[in-house]
Amino acid sequence: MIQSLFIANRGEIAVRIIRTCRELGIRTVVAFSQADRDSLPVRMADERVCVGPPPARESYLNVRNLITGAVLSGCDALHPGVGFLAENAAFARDVREAGLVFVGPDPDVIELLGDKIRAKRSAQDLRIPVIPGSEDSVRDGGHALETAEEIGYPVMVKAAAGGGGKGMRIVRGSGELADILAIASHEAEKAFSDGTVYLEKYIENPRHVEIQIVADTLGNVVHLGERDCTVQQNHQKLIEESPSPVVSAELRARMGEDAVRLLRGLGYTGAGTVEFLVKDGTHWFMEVNARVQVEHPVSEMVTGVDIIRQQLLAASGESLEVRQEEVRLGAYAVECRINARSAGRVTQYVPPGGFGVRMDTFLYAGCQVPPWYDHLVAKVIVTGRNRAEGLVRMEGALADLLIEGIATNQAAQRKIVSHPVFRKGTYGTGFMGEIFKEGGL
Amino acid sequence: MDFKELFALMERFEKSGLSELAFKRNGEEVCMKKAVPVAAGPASAAPLPVPAHPPAAEAGPSHAPDTEIIRAPLVGTFFRSAAPDAPPLVEKGDTVKKGRTLCILEAMKLMNEFQAEFDLVVVNILMDNGRMVEFGAPLFEVRRA
Repeated sequence: MIQSLFIANRGEIAVRIIRTCRELGIRTVVAFSQADRDSLPVRMADERVCVGPPPARESYLNVRNLITGAVLSGCDALHPGVGFLAENAAFARDVREAGLVFVGPDPDVIELLGDKIRAKRSAQDLRIPVIPGSEDSVRDGGHALETAEEIGYPVMVKAAAGGGGKGMRIVRGSGELADILAIASHEAEKAFSDGTVYLEKYIENPRHVEIQIVADTLGNVVHLGERDCTVQQNHQKLIEESPSPVVSAELRARMGEDAVRLLRGLGYTGAGTVEFLVKDGTHWFMEVNARVQVEHPVSEMVTGVDIIRQQLLAASGESLEVRQEEVRLGAYAVECRINARSAGRVTQYVPPGGFGVRMDTFLYAGCQVPPWYDHLVAKVIVTGRNRAEGLVRMEGALADLLIEGIATNQAAQRKIVSHPVFRKGTYGTGFMGEIFKEGGL
Repeated sequence: MDFKELFALMERFEKSGLSELAFKRNGEEVCMKKAVPVAAGPASAAPLPVPAHPPAAEAGPSHAPDTEIIRAPLVGTFFRSAAPDAPPLVEKGDTVKKGRTLCILEAMKLMNEFQAEFDLVVVNILMDNGRMVEFGAPLFEVRRA
């Protein structure tokens, strides 16, 4: 078993990892930048190492300082958390070369999944339904036109190295294809230093549904049901829930089997997520997130399985604590992400509480929210016997939550949760657009 | 270099993504450092608006008003000498010319020579030989010479 874990991350995910390490008796050493000196994970960890100045590229992305800090502080494993270097295959290799266990899948698997075209091809090889599109990157305008005609408009241009909506564009007709292709490729080049793009059939107003997987090195691959992440703004998830209001037991079984077959086929270990688009009872593979995800607590609350704990067990070469036939998909869980809209000192902080309420956050009264990093500051997670009960509980939790000193999206989240369209559960990824139109946000 | 050139260089540096710039020509030398470099967060949201009040000044050892603290620029192991049996690179009280190696910081099997950025007198050595240092750890108290 891992004895000492170096946490190469910050904020609420660092806090989350420390909590499970305490339960497992693992000593924690957390990396921090000068902007996070007084942060909650730095206070909670057994030890801490300053790895650089505030800008992420000089601290949380500083491979040399992170690995040296991990080795010199006597750790035997490194957890990358989410974001930063979590899906960087070269970093995972460097960690291993330094003699540390990397808490995550094999670097070669990370690399394969990071290339959306290769990932899609792997899924196809394993007979998993994929969105019709160009088999490969689109080479030139002529090739793109041909492919687009074949799959039919509207089509989606996507970046091979993609993520976060960068390099992604919808094309509705042949007249605009060449221009949009150039813009998307340029954007991808700027964001990922790789301008490779490909085409896909654009599925209008789909649901975004993902399957949570945990896998160990002994061949156990288990899925923990789905999360519906359809409520997004600029391709950033805002609300995640499980079960999805549009996934039947039969569809859940098919998607779960596909996700397990894919990650088993790739030799995947640790926690991972297989993302699908769903429309009218049909599902298409989209991509794999080769790490634990921000929204993992939703699946934890539904199944009662601590996903970080399974990750650490798998990284230690031990068996998962749960078999597929033991997974009980409980009633209902939902998460609202609280994002900062300004940085600064939090002057007041009162978390919600009570039956079925969980807060994952690094906030405390007096803490600093630095301007340098991701804007996620808290995750409000509630459970209920069913969706209606869970959403009423979430409304209450969002009303109780008090954060002063910084601006957040808390009020916007309350509007979404109480919106009749959201309550009915019948909406697609265009839902935020509807709310925008109403002028509510 | 005349002032016009210098101001032009400052302006370009201000707009660039660099956090540090050293420029040498015909025996002249200019060093520029940005106090608050441009943010480069993870591949997510745009940087948040900057806080109204600056973060608290970094805590550190107290020192005389005419001295300054030299801090570790990276995470590593602090060595006072170039090899285990070699004498220390600098001793307390030494006058050191700019460019002279003050200590070795070992990181990922690389021996990084940490050099004096200006002429100085070593007032105090603040770190024990062989200790792990984190970024920003105080190493030397020095006085500009």
